[in-house]
Order: sequence, then C-alpha cells, then structure tokens
Amino acid sequence: MRFSLLITAAMLCAASLPHCIRVTDGIEVDVAYQPAATPAQVRTDMGYRVHLDRALIVIGQVELLRCDNFVLNWWEIVAPARARAHEFTTPTSLGVPLVIDLMESSGVPLFAGTLRPPPGEYCGIRVVGMPADQDAEGLTDANLDMMEHSVLITGRVEDPASGDVVPLIAGIWEVLECEMLFDRPLVFDGPVLESVNVQIDHTKWFDGIDFALQSPDAVQQLITENIRSSLQAVLPLAETDL
Amino acid sequence: MIAALFAPLWVAAGASACGTCSVGDPTLTIVGFEQPQGQRVRTSGTLRYRNDRIGDPQVDGLQLAEQRMELAGAYSPTDRWTLSLMMPLVHRLVSAVNLAEADIWAPGDLELRARAVVWRDRKFAPRHLVSLIGGLEFPTSSIERDADGVPLPLEFQAGTGSWDPIAGASYTMFSDPWSLYVSSTAIFPTQGTADTKVGISFRQTALGQFQPWHFLAFQVGVEFRVDQPGYIQGVRDPNTGGNITYGTFGLIGLPHDKVLLHFTTAIPMIQRLDGQHVEGLAITAGLVYEI
Repeated sequence: MRFSLLITAAMLCAASLPHCIRVTDGIEVDVAYQPAATPAQVRTDMGYRVHLDRALIVIGQVELLRCDNFVLNWWEIVAPARARAHEFTTPTSLGVPLVIDLMESSGVPLFAGTLRPPPGEYCGIRVVGMPADQDAEGLTDANLDMMEHSVLITGRVEDPASGDVVPLIAGIWEVLECEMLFDRPLVFDGPVLESVNVQIDHTKWFDGIDFALQSPDAVQQLITENIRSSLQAVLPLAETDL
Repeated sequence: MIAALFAPLWVAAGASACGTCSVGDPTLTIVGFEQPQGQRVRTSGTLRYRNDRIGDPQVDGLQLAEQRMELAGAYSPTDRWTLSLMMPLVHRLVSAVNLAEADIWAPGDLELRARAVVWRDRKFAPRHLVSLIGGLEFPTSSIERDADGVPLPLEFQAGTGSWDPIAGASYTMFSDPWSLYVSSTAIFPTQGTADTKVGISFRQTALGQFQPWHFLAFQVGVEFRVDQPGYIQGVRDPNTGGNITYGTFGLIGLPHDKVLLHFTTAIPMIQRLDGQHVEGLAITAGLVYEI
C-alpha cells in the first residue's frame, strides 16, 4: 500500500513536471556577402569608363569545403556545371537563393546565413551563382528577370579616346560555380563561432576587355571569367595575426 | 486526465493479494503480460535506454540518446479485464554533427490500455489466453519551441503531441516452467507537433520464458516493428519508415512475494529502416509491485 502511494505520488510528479531544454551551440560559421561599393562610373584597366544602370547577381548556394575533398571539388568545376532548381540547406551549405542588387551596395556585408559543419579542416568555400527561383530572397517585381539570369548588367561604355559611347548588356544565364581557397585552413575541433565574408568586387568585372574591338559574345565571356575571379573568401584575422 | 490516471489505484487501494499465488500459476510476468484476476493491482517503475542515429554522420546527422522512466499501474476489475496506465518522464540528449547539443527533460505521452481476455481454456489457472488490446496515447508531453516560438522537430520532443489509438491482440501460453507470449499491436498516430504525422507502426512480439526456479526466469524473444514513413508539413521525412527486428534477452527475478525485478536487453538484428536511420541497443530495467 505504501509502495502504491509512492508510485501514485511519483506519477503525479512526473505528469506535472515542468519541462526544460538546454541548448549548447556547436561549431557555427556565419557567412556574409560583401559587395564592393558601386561608384558612379567604373574605370577599367584598359581605360574605358563603364556607367552602370543595373548590376545584379543571384547566389544560389554557398558551401564549405573540406580540405580532403578540395581536389575532388576542383574536378567538379572542370566538369560541366549543372543547373539545380533549388539547393538544399545542410550543415555545410546554405541553399536559399539571394538576389543581390549591386547598385544598392555600399560595401556593407549582407548576412547570408549560418553554417553548422561537423568537426574537421575546411580549406575553402564554393559559391554557386544561378537564376533565382520564386522563393529567392530579394526577388521583387522590379527584378523578376533574375529568374532567367545568374548575372545581369546593363549600362553604357564610354571610350575616352574616341568619345564613343556604346550600350552594355550582359545577361548571363549559365550556372557559375566558383571555389575559393581560404588564406588558412579553418580547423574545427570544438564548439566555436567563425565568420566568412564572400567579397564581390564588381568594379573588376570589366578589366581586360577591349570593348571597341571585341564582339559582344567575347565581352560576355570575359565578364563571366572576371566575375569568377572577382569573388574572394575572406576570414577574420587569426589571433596570431593580430 | 490526471484523475483518470490514478483512478485504478484509488479504486484498488483496499485490494490485496499475492499475485502469482492468486492466479494459480507461478509464472513471473511483467505488467501487461499477466493473467487478469479480479481486483489484482500492480504498479511498476521502468527505466529504458535507447539510442538512434539519423542522417548522414558527416553532413546532417543527429544522434539521440534517450532515457525514459515509465511509471505504470495496472488494475484488473474482473478476471477478464485489465486496465493500465503508463506515464513516462523522458530525458533526451540530441547531438548534432556540429557538436551542438540539446538536453531535454519533459513528461512524455500518457498511455492508456485495456486488455480483454476473449478466450481461455479454463477459468482457474488457464494455460491458454487470447486477448484483445485497445488503447490510446494522450498528447500530454510538452511542446519544445525555439526562440521564435516555433515548435522544434520531433527529434527534440518528448512525445508526438498527437492522439494515437492503439489496437492489437495477444496470445499467452502458461506451461510451468515454460511460457510463451505473442502479441501484435498497431499504433495509428494522428497529426502531431510541428505539423508532423508519424506513420502507422505495427509491432510483433514473440517471447519465450523458462523459469527453472520459482524466483528466477529467463526470457528470449524477437520483436519486429514496421513503420510507415512520417511526414513533416506534408513532405515525406526521408529517414522514417522501414522495418527492424530486435533479438531480446531478459531476466525476471522475484526477490520478495510482492516485488518483481526485470532486466531486458534488445539487440537490433536486422535493420531495414528507410533513409539514413540506425537504431542501437535498447536496455530496459524495472520493478513491479503487486498490491
């Protein structure tokens, strides 16, 4: 009888116990895109002046790359890029597409999200530019055409030597994959908060292009290559560097 | 609900009997497996441990370690009916691949079961019992939410948060020193926490027991479970569904006329669970008190 009362009391306690949950953060990597501030006109290394009316890029996915997988991942760059409608978000990748209007950028980082990778060594990051889908953040009525473009640039190019002005239209629809090495490996062996800034320097997108001599197709091809090389993954200074 | 939980215990407060003596059979049985006997009341406390691994261990894996303390009471108003109630207290440790951890303590889902003996070969000390089982799991568990008030996924919850009917049948054979228990039960979950719908689960148990001494019995058996896939907001959870077969090995001891101790370990033998889902060893230890 005493035991049954004990059990009864214990059941009553169990049923009325307040619940509690304690969460301990693990390894987290904040990712931000940091477009360069857009000047009134871009002066190229060949002397042209580019006046931009529109400059937009869609980042579809960003993925942290393990050091031991890096060679493998480079092979994937060489292999033909494949379009993926909407990438999944996993602990090592963010899959929510973001439309970035570079005309509005003032050099301030745009928070993309937080990666939660497992312990290990990470040597780089992969950024994938692709046309936006309907769920893309930053997609508005004014930039709906980004559902058909990874990058869209419109404006005009002025040749200071001749004074000629030609229109500039570059609509890149292909999937752009870009893998970037960090200046040092990120080594995670315990809970920590890190951050990675993906810098986008669109003032370099028109370097090496002779607009007067090259065909529109060649111009677009060079801009595509320049976009890839204009991206840089930057880590905060390590404590030993300070 | 709380009143319903304890009603059988209050009703039976005046009853007293030596369980294994009064039913005319010396077989040691844990709560749920026993022979119903009018006014028989049993209470129990059970500790369970299990662990699961879900998802890709290098990408999105979650490791779950769960300990449950189940407090139960069973009351037989007649020698054909047994009503039982079980209230779990759940401790769950969820570890993510990025070393983040969630440590949850919460009451789980209350379970009510009724067992009716629909056929027996004789009234006193029957050797063969066929029973029907019906029950319901109540959504008594608390709902864990994130900082924005959004319910967390089911892995972080102590219960499903749904009303889950239970139906089944069992056959028990007593032939001292041997006994056999076979049961088939199905759980039919409804919509639960975070717009989650757990799939229908069918469970088949077959246990053989050998009791060489009146105070000690050995159990060996097989537990088979097949689950339908679960859905989260209408989208199939890829790591749910499939079937698993456990081999079980147990001991039941009778240190005192009214106290029974039991220990069982269940080892996964065949795992055909969908997606990336691995279940580990399950251990159960408990105490039954015959009132």
